[in-house]
Amino acid sequence: MDAQLLISGVIFGLSIGSIFFLLAIGLSLCFGLMRIISLDQLLYYSVGAYITYTLHVVTGNTWVGVFGGMVAAGIVSFGVERFVFLRIYERDIAFTMITSFGILFAGVGAIKYIWGLIPRPVPVPIDAQVGILGTGVPAYRLIVIGISLLVYLGIWLFLNRTIIGKAIRAGIEDVEHVEGLGVNVYRLFTITFIIAGILSGLAGGLHSSLIMVDPQMGLEVLALAFMVVIIGGLGSIKGTLASAFIVGQVISLGSLVYAPLAQMAPFATMLVILLIKPTGLWGSKLLKR
Amino acid sequence: MMNLFRWWWGILLTFFLLALVRVFLPLPFANEIIIFSIYTMGCSFLLGRVGFISFGQPAYLAVGAYGTAFYLYYFGTNPYIGILLGILSGVVISMIVGAFFVRLRSDYFALVNLALAVIIFYLMEKVLAKITHGDNGLWFLANMSSTPVLDLGKPSHFFIFAFLVALALWTFYKYLDDSLFGACCLATKINEDKLKFLGYSNFAIRWMAFIIANTTTALAGSLYAVYLGFVSPAITHPARAADPVIVTILGGVGTLYGPIVGAIAYTGMKDLLSGFITNWELFIGLLLVFIMLAGEKGIWGTLEPILKKALFRKAILPRFQESGDKSK
Repeated sequence: MDAQLLISGVIFGLSIGSIFFLLAIGLSLCFGLMRIISLDQLLYYSVGAYITYTLHVVTGNTWVGVFGGMVAAGIVSFGVERFVFLRIYERDIAFTMITSFGILFAGVGAIKYIWGLIPRPVPVPIDAQVGILGTGVPAYRLIVIGISLLVYLGIWLFLNRTIIGKAIRAGIEDVEHVEGLGVNVYRLFTITFIIAGILSGLAGGLHSSLIMVDPQMGLEVLALAFMVVIIGGLGSIKGTLASAFIVGQVISLGSLVYAPLAQMAPFATMLVILLIKPTGLWGSKLLKR
Repeated sequence: MMNLFRWWWGILLTFFLLALVRVFLPLPFANEIIIFSIYTMGCSFLLGRVGFISFGQPAYLAVGAYGTAFYLYYFGTNPYIGILLGILSGVVISMIVGAFFVRLRSDYFALVNLALAVIIFYLMEKVLAKITHGDNGLWFLANMSSTPVLDLGKPSHFFIFAFLVALALWTFYKYLDDSLFGACCLATKINEDKLKFLGYSNFAIRWMAFIIANTTTALAGSLYAVYLGFVSPAITHPARAADPVIVTILGGVGTLYGPIVGAIAYTGMKDLLSGFITNWELFIGLLLVFIMLAGEKGIWGTLEPILKKALFRKAILPRFQESGDKSK
């Protein structure tokens, strides 16, 4: 395998991994704090992508679209949290999983109703190429990687340097204790859910220029996003970052070795990791069953 | 005699109504309902009795379907042997896979099964494309020889066969519910520590339940293969992975007749709604959320107490009054 192919393959893997990280971080936070499996994050991802498309058509600028997509995803996630999740936080995990799948399914139907079935293209906002070791790499992919690292930094600062973030971190350890200290945990839940929704919307907006936007896109990445969370360990942010990049590389380099591996290899990796270490690489012990 | 009748009457009534479906509705719809209810039964058993939620049932459907398809395409012509081989491959695969999977907790279990479904999908579509012909699928309708009593190549004869299979299967599951094994399954769902304390192995019970449920699913897969006369990787597509879970919940989790009611409702809604509006997902999704928020009983779970009340009020109430009179 020659070096140029390898470099572009690694960059491709990193950018795909960044998208997965942005998607998975919301799932991971939701599981860590609220002990819910929120499949509907994939709906906010689709909403982000579709709003990006619409705003791009209206304004001609993809970045405006990405920003609008984040806002729209945040609003939709707030609505869903108020009307559905507030009632089911106390239920067991499988219950939230099925309910949120219902929301995702309904959302896909609504998207089909509003935007139609035809896949829509979103152009890449920056066409420029950047030379790395003599290989031309699309600048947009580097920006995507940069944004995801910034988000990781931002989440880290938020969780470690602000009082709300510290409360969320304490809640991941033990919700009842935090509640006992007089913190309104349901407000924490709402904040976390909206952050997760906004990040999923960001992932959708950034991903929309790399693929075609179509109604089933949420269902297509569902399995991959979950795999990232599972490999990293539910509730761990560091683990999610690491496993997102691992999965990105497995997809990208796997497809260079043998094309059909691209879709299968990540799942095989997950099976092996789960059978060896059932809680994922950085997973904590699960408190509530 | 009375007990025997009481044990059988629910099954017989249900299948009498199912036979009426065949009379009043078109044949493809009736066939679809029967196969789909068998498909859902496995998922319902896992979710309702053993507490395992599986988003990967299409994997076992594909195992059964391809087990049948390989035999009918490459080796033989008798569809009955094809179905037997489909069941056999279901047993073997779920024995191997189950030994690893049932150790995991229920939400990981769902995702590991999904991973298996995706792996089998790409295995059949890309890696083994030379044997499975990839997306074109295996066509073997012309290969099937006609058999003497029930010719499975004919849809009307196939219905009778599938009907009898379903009748046998529901009798089997009703028997399981009453047996010690059924009680152990429920116990491992509710309190595994206590069951261990009583001297039962949680692993063995879960493993058995996994094999039974997924062999049922594989049977549905081989019925699909024989009925349609072709198999393509589309049956294990990840986007359809949640269908059996949706139908299970629609019908009512853990109830005996839930899968049939759910399959009729789901297939019917799909056919009816897709005629009026293109986005039936919106409706199904909202219905699913509503059912979950309203107490996760499903259609049959809500209807069952009402029906029992309506049917038994006259039979039970007088007896109570009689005994009350005697005590006076």
